[in-house]
Amino acid sequence: MAIKPFAHGNAVTVAEAVEALSASCRPLAGGTDLLAMMKADLTAPESLVNLKTIPELHEIGVVPDAETTKGLRIGAMVTLSQLAAHPAVQGRQELGRGSLTRSSMAVLHQAILRTASPQLRHMATLGGNLLQEPRCWYYRNELIPCWRKGGRLCYAYRGENKRHVILGGGPCYAVHPSDPAVALLAMDASLRIVGPAGERTMSLAEFYHPPDRETRTVTHLAIDELITEIRVPAPQAGTRGVYVKVAERAAWDFALAAVAIQAVMEGDTIRSCRVALGGVATIPWRASQVEEVLMGQASSPAPLSTAVIDRAVEAVVEDIRPLEHNGYKADLLQGVLREALDQLR
Amino acid sequence: MITKTAEHTVIGTRPPRADAFEKVVGKAVFGPDVNLPRMAYGRILRSPHAHARIVRIDPTRAEALDGVYAVATAADLPEAADRTERVGEGNVNYKYMRDNTFAGDKVLYHGHPIAAVAARTLQIAEQALELIDVEYELLDPVLDVRQAMAADAPLLHEGMHTRSLAGTADTPSNVASQFQFLQGDPEQGFAQADVVVERAFETAMVHQGYIEPHAATAAWDADGTLTVYTTTQGAFDIRSQVHELLGYPLSKIIVVPTEVGGAFGGKNVGYVEVPAAVLARKSGRPVRVVMTREEVFLASGPSSGTWMRVKMGATREGRITAAEVELCYEAGAYPGSPVGAGANCILAGYDIPNARLDGYDVVVNKPRVGAYRAPGATQSTFAGEAVIDELAEKLGLDPVEFRLRNIATNGMPRLNGGFHEHIAAREVMEAVRDHPHYNAPLERGTGILRRGRGVGLAYWGNWGARSSVTLEVNADGTVSMLMGSVDITGTRTSIAMQAAETLGLSLAHINPAMGNTQTSGYSDASGGSRTTMATGVAAVKAAEEVIAKMHERAAAIWVCEPEQVAYTNIGPDAGTFTCSRNDETMTFAEVAAKLGGTGGALRGQGDVNVRRWGGAFGANIADVEVDIETGSVRLLRFTAVQNVGKAIRPGQVEGQLRGGATQGIGWGLYEGYAYDGQGHMLNANFLDYKLPTALDVPAIETEILEIPWPEHPFGVRGVGETPIVGPPAAIANAVYDAIGVRQGFLPMTPARILESMGII
Ligand SMILES: Cc1cc2nc3c(=O)[nH]c(=O)nc-3n(C[C@H](O)[C@H](O)[C@H](O)COP(=O)(O)OP(=O)(O)OC[C@H]3O[C@@H](n4cnc5c(N)ncnc54)[C@H](O)[C@@H]3O)c2cc1C
Repeated sequence: MAIKPFAHGNAVTVAEAVEALSASCRPLAGGTDLLAMMKADLTAPESLVNLKTIPELHEIGVVPDAETTKGLRIGAMVTLSQLAAHPAVQGRQELGRGSLTRSSMAVLHQAILRTASPQLRHMATLGGNLLQEPRCWYYRNELIPCWRKGGRLCYAYRGENKRHVILGGGPCYAVHPSDPAVALLAMDASLRIVGPAGERTMSLAEFYHPPDRETRTVTHLAIDELITEIRVPAPQAGTRGVYVKVAERAAWDFALAAVAIQAVMEGDTIRSCRVALGGVATIPWRASQVEEVLMGQASSPAPLSTAVIDRAVEAVVEDIRPLEHNGYKADLLQGVLREALDQLR
Repeated sequence: MITKTAEHTVIGTRPPRADAFEKVVGKAVFGPDVNLPRMAYGRILRSPHAHARIVRIDPTRAEALDGVYAVATAADLPEAADRTERVGEGNVNYKYMRDNTFAGDKVLYHGHPIAAVAARTLQIAEQALELIDVEYELLDPVLDVRQAMAADAPLLHEGMHTRSLAGTADTPSNVASQFQFLQGDPEQGFAQADVVVERAFETAMVHQGYIEPHAATAAWDADGTLTVYTTTQGAFDIRSQVHELLGYPLSKIIVVPTEVGGAFGGKNVGYVEVPAAVLARKSGRPVRVVMTREEVFLASGPSSGTWMRVKMGATREGRITAAEVELCYEAGAYPGSPVGAGANCILAGYDIPNARLDGYDVVVNKPRVGAYRAPGATQSTFAGEAVIDELAEKLGLDPVEFRLRNIATNGMPRLNGGFHEHIAAREVMEAVRDHPHYNAPLERGTGILRRGRGVGLAYWGNWGARSSVTLEVNADGTVSMLMGSVDITGTRTSIAMQAAETLGLSLAHINPAMGNTQTSGYSDASGGSRTTMATGVAAVKAAEEVIAKMHERAAAIWVCEPEQVAYTNIGPDAGTFTCSRNDETMTFAEVAAKLGGTGGALRGQGDVNVRRWGGAFGANIADVEVDIETGSVRLLRFTAVQNVGKAIRPGQVEGQLRGGATQGIGWGLYEGYAYDGQGHMLNANFLDYKLPTALDVPAIETEILEIPWPEHPFGVRGVGETPIVGPPAAIANAVYDAIGVRQGFLPMTPARILESMGII
C-alpha cells in the first residue's frame, strides 16, 4: 500500500520533540518499523517528528558521575550497528575498575549481531528497537481486528499460533520481537525517559508489562514521552554473558526462542545471575526460577554439572502454557537454554 | 551447411553477460520503472474473503472522487472463450482467466481482483478503492486439497464436473480432472516384492519469490494501437492473453517486454496487463499498475500445495518390482495444476515394470497456481525419492547403488506412455557415486548435533517450441541480433554466442537485443528450459542464412558463382571468404562493407518450431546437521550434478544450478504459504514467508555433465528447471540419515522436525 500523506518535522532538542508529541504526532527514529506500520495502514499519524536531528540522542559514552559504577550510556538514537561497533560493547574499552573481560558486554553484542540484518542495523536505533510493535501475523494484517489493535479477540489464541507465546499469554499472545531488549533485561539496564513533566528513570524490568484488560500496550511510556537514553550498569568483576537465539533462518528472522544470561562469577562459582527469555512471552521475560537454580553453582572453567543444567532446563518450562500449535517451543526453549549454559563456561 | 564440430572458440567460454553492466549500474529498465507522460496510477481492489458470492459492486462513490480517472470491473471485459491454451510451461483457459482478472459473480481466494482504479496519484487510487462498495455473501472456504476432494466439500465452481479419460462425471466436484497411468501389473509386482514401503507426504504452497513484482504500463495511440510494457517471460503470450480478454486484434496490440527481475515460471500469465489496458482506454491516459509484495503473494501464480502417497516394492536383490502413486495437487481457484508434469517426473529415473499412478487436479480457495521452475516435479520427487531411499535402507543397500540397480535406460517404456531417448540417468548417478562429496567421511555426532547425508535424483523433460532470431549484417562487419525470446537468464549472451560460433566471428561482433511483438518473429515464452536450446536453433539457422546470403554477395563482388565461394568459420582463418575461381580472399567485414552495392540489407532469419528435445537428469548430495533439541537444520555441504547436454556459457549454467538449488533449499526448509481457517493468507511478506538468506545456503558445488542432445547443433538440452527438483528430496533423506525419522512435510521447519521426533 502507498503510505498515507503525513507531515514531517525535524526536532533539534528533546524538549521541542516532546512538545510536539501527541496521539497523532509520533516520533520517528530509524523508521524501520514505524514506516512499515504506516505502509500497512496499521497506524496513520498525521505528522512525524524526526529525532535524527537531535544531536544529544546520538551520543554514546561512559557514565561520568559515580566512579565505582561506571556504566554505558547509550543515546536512544544510536543505531544497532554503531552500538555493536563501540569498543565498550566489543569488550575493548575499560568500564568499571579492573572489571572488564571480553565477555562482560558479550550478551548485548551477541544479541545485536543476531538482530535483523546488517542493512537494518544501520538504520534501526536502540530506542526504536525497544519500542517496536509485535510481529504477530494477525496483528500485522490490516484486515484482522485483533485485540491488540483495539478489537475484541486474539485471533492467534485459537488460530495459527506456532510462533506465539508459551509464557504468560492473554489477552494478547504475540511475542515481543526484540533481541536487544532481552539482553538489556539480563544486564539490568534502565531507561531515561523525558516527558512534559520532566525526566524520570525506570529499569527495563519495570518498563515492560504484559498487556492486560486495561492497557493494550506493553510499556509504561506515555504518548508524550521519549526515551532519551538507555543505561547499562558497569559490569562487575567476573561478569560473563551469553545470548543464544534460534529462529527459522540464520538471519533476518525473529526468535522462536532466545536466552540471555548475565552471570557474575566469583572464582568458579556463579555469585549472581540474571536470565531473560525472548520470543516466548509478550514482553522480554525474566526467568527468576532459572536464576535460583544457577545461583551459587560452580561453573567456570568446567561446565555446570549435568544435574544443575537439567534442573535449570526443567525450571525454565515450569510455568509454560503452550497453545495448540506451539508445544514444540517448550522443547526448543529448553534446547536454547542448554546451549546458553554450555556457552557460559 | 556449416556446422561446427571442431573446437569451439566462443561456446564454452565465460564472457561477461551482455546485460550485466546496465543492471549493475542500475540503469536497466524493469517493469515498475516504465514511466510515460501523463501517466496515471492504477491499483486493484481485492477480495478480503477466500470464498464469497458478489451480490453487488457499486463504484459510484469511487468514480466521484477528485483525481480518479477511471474505474474498471468485469463489466468492462467482453465474454472470453472457454478454450484452454498452452502458456509458457502451463496452460490457461481464457474464460477462467477473465474471472481471475476481474471476479465475475464469485470471489475464490483472498486477494482475488474485483475492480481497478486509475487516478492521479497512488494515494488517490487507494482511497478510491475504499469507496468501491462491494456486498458479499460469504461461503465456506476449502483450503486443503483432500478436504476439497471430499464429496460434501463446498464447491468453488458449481458447474465443474471431473473430467477423465472415462468422460465427464455427473455430479459437480472440486476435482477438475483426474488421470491414471498404468504399466504392467502392479498387484503382481507387489506380490513379487520382498520389501514394501508406503508413505504419505504433504507440501505447502510455495512462491517463486521473484524480487520484481508484476508491473505493466498500457497506452493507447490515437489510431487504436495498444502498447503494453510489461515484465514477462513471453511477450507473445501476453499479447495473446490481452487479445483474448479484450477481444482486440493481435495486430493492434504491441507488447514490449522490459528487463525481468526474476520470474521462474511466474511471469507467463498476465495479471496486471489487462487491468492497465482497460483503465488506459477508459481514462485516455497511459496507466501503470504495479503490484505490491503482498499482492504478488496473494494473487499471482505460486506452485501447488500437495498431498501425495507413494508405495513401492523391491526384491531382496534390490530390484524395484512395483510402484503405486497418488498425486493430489492444488490448482488454486481455477483448474490447471502441474500434476501432469509431477506425474511425468516422479518415476522417470527408474525402470519399474509395474506401476499405477493416479493424478488429481483440484481447485481450492487459493490463488490459481502458475508455473514454478520444473512445475510439479519438485513436489512429486520429494515423495518418490524418500520412498526410494527407504527401500534402499530396508534392503541394506547404499542409496546410490540401489538407484543404479534400477536406473532408467534409453528405450525403456515409461509410465507416461513414452520412452527415454539419449538420457544419461546412469551417468548422473555414477557421477554422484564417484563424487568427492559422496565419498568424503561424515562425522555423525552423538550428542545434540547429528549429521547425515542424503541424495536425490531429479528429472525434467525440457521443452522446444517456437523461437525467432534475426541477424542483420552491418557495413562495419558487426551483426545486430534481435530475438523474440525474453531474456530472463542471460539469454542475449548465450544466443549471441551460438550465433557468433556459427558465423565464425568473435562475440564482440554481435550486439544482441530483445525484440517486442511488433519487431520480432513469434516466440514462445522463455520457460521450461527451452530458450538456450530452441532459440539457439533459431540463431544457428539465422546465422546459416546470413552466411549463405553473404556467399551470394561475395560472388557478386568477385563476379563468380556462389558455389565457387567458400566460407570458413573455424580455426585461424575463421571469418574469411575464399573464391576458387581467382583464389582471392575477403573477410566477413570486407563483404559487409559492400552490402550497399550488392543488393542492400542482409538479414538472416531463423524461425523454428523445435518439436523434439532432450530431457535432463540431475542429482543432489546434501550434508545436514540437525540440532535435536531445537529442530534446526543446517546445511553443511551441498552438491548439484546435472547433465546439461552442452554448457554454452558455463558460468551461467553453474548459476542456474546454484540458483535452482537455493530455491529448492528454501522449499525444503523454510518456505510455505500459511492460511488461517477462513482462508486469509497470513504470511504475504518476505519476513513471514521465509526465503533462505546467504547465511542459510552453503557454497553449492556444481558438476556439469555434457552428454549431448544430438538434435541440437551444439548438443544443448536446457538447464534451468532440473536444479530445483532434487534438493528437498536430498535434504529430507539427509535429515533422516541424521536423526532416523522420515520427514513427510515440506517445509521442514524446526517445529516440524521436533514434532516428527515425537518430542512434543
Ligand atoms: C525484516 C526485519 C527483520 C527484523 N529482525 C529483527 C530481529 O531479528 N530482532 C529484533 O530485535 N528486531 C528485528 N527487527 C526490528 C528492528 O530491529 C526494528 O524495526 C528497529 O530496531 C526499530 O528501530 P527504528 O529506529 O527503526 O524505530 P522506528 O521504526 O523509527 O520506531 C519504532 C517505534 O518506536 C517509536 N520510537 C522510536 N524512537 C523512540 C524514542 N526515542 N522515544 C519514544 N519513542 C520512540 C516510534 O514512534 C515507533 O513507534 C526486524 C525488522 C525488520 C523490518
